[in-house]
Amino acid sequence: MAKSMLLINRHSPWSGLCARETLDIALAGGAFDLPIGMLFLDDGVFQLAIQQNPAVLQQKDLGANLQALPLFGVDDLYVCGESLTRRGLAADRLALPAQALDTAALAALVDRYDLVITL
Amino acid sequence: MATLHLLAQSPYSSVLDSALRLLSAQDAVLFTGDACHALQAGSAPLEKLQQLPVGIELFALEEDMQARNISTPARVTLVDYPAFVALSIRFDKVNSWL
Amino acid sequence: MKFAIALFSAPHAPSARRALRFAEAVLAEGHEIVRLFFYREGVYSASQAVVTPQDELDIAAQWRAFVIQHNLDAVVCIAAALRRGVLNAEEAQRYGRQAVSLEAPWELSGLGQLHEAAQQADRLICFGGD
Repeated sequence: MAKSMLLINRHSPWSGLCARETLDIALAGGAFDLPIGMLFLDDGVFQLAIQQNPAVLQQKDLGANLQALPLFGVDDLYVCGESLTRRGLAADRLALPAQALDTAALAALVDRYDLVITL
Repeated sequence: MATLHLLAQSPYSSVLDSALRLLSAQDAVLFTGDACHALQAGSAPLEKLQQLPVGIELFALEEDMQARNISTPARVTLVDYPAFVALSIRFDKVNSWL
Repeated sequence: MKFAIALFSAPHAPSARRALRFAEAVLAEGHEIVRLFFYREGVYSASQAVVTPQDELDIAAQWRAFVIQHNLDAVVCIAAALRRGVLNAEEAQRYGRQAVSLEAPWELSGLGQLHEAAQQADRLICFGGD
């Protein structure tokens, strides 16, 4: 049975390559039919903010790639509720269908996966 | 399943706070690099760490503590590289905070 | 035990040296390294172009020597490397670039190699962050 991998995203989308290169790990895993989960934590929740305009920064739309996650079989998307609240974002107005978790649930989430990397 | 959380950043960034929020009862933390500043006597991070349940073990990479002249708090175990390898085997997985 | 070791930081980063010391200990303790995978800024740690002052630690050179000595499978993520200007002869020619900074024993390949190693190994340990 394949080992499951949780990727914890802590970086905002327009602060360099981290968000994109973390997403690439997820998509590659999905392409190989591996069980991959994504948790958006701290500034990583900004990746899920709606109606962003990366074109004005001459950046590729990361959002479009994030939308590809389910197509690659990566459906287990989670977001830290506290990180959202602190940053003024609402769990029901996100660019992706991510399940909001409280702190206790975050620890339980990490426990469930065979592999975890925090970027 | 117990996780060893591997930290390498200053405790004055948000990494330490976030890592502590994600700890399960059987987890442990290994402090390396500037994360060792969290173990500095009299510091706010150390005060916070002393509040952790006693079941959560704290480790520090010996060379990083020595380089920074940080004395080892009572509940922290120093590790060298062979012990670091052993730790990575003892715990089910290692979550590196990059 | 089988280890997959990934490095995410450049050669001057403390974590690049720490990863090497850890990798050395893994083998010294009688374990196996199934693959080294260098990603993100870690691609710079595989560069042959790094010039280090004589009185400083040359971690890129030490990594290379370590890989050769133990005949390890050493992979650099091709997408991350290209973005950062770390090219082998083949890629330099393909893209018409004058600089070749990656040579054997390092191989350029995709993230699938990281996943394969993580699946095969008993432990995946990633280094970076500082």
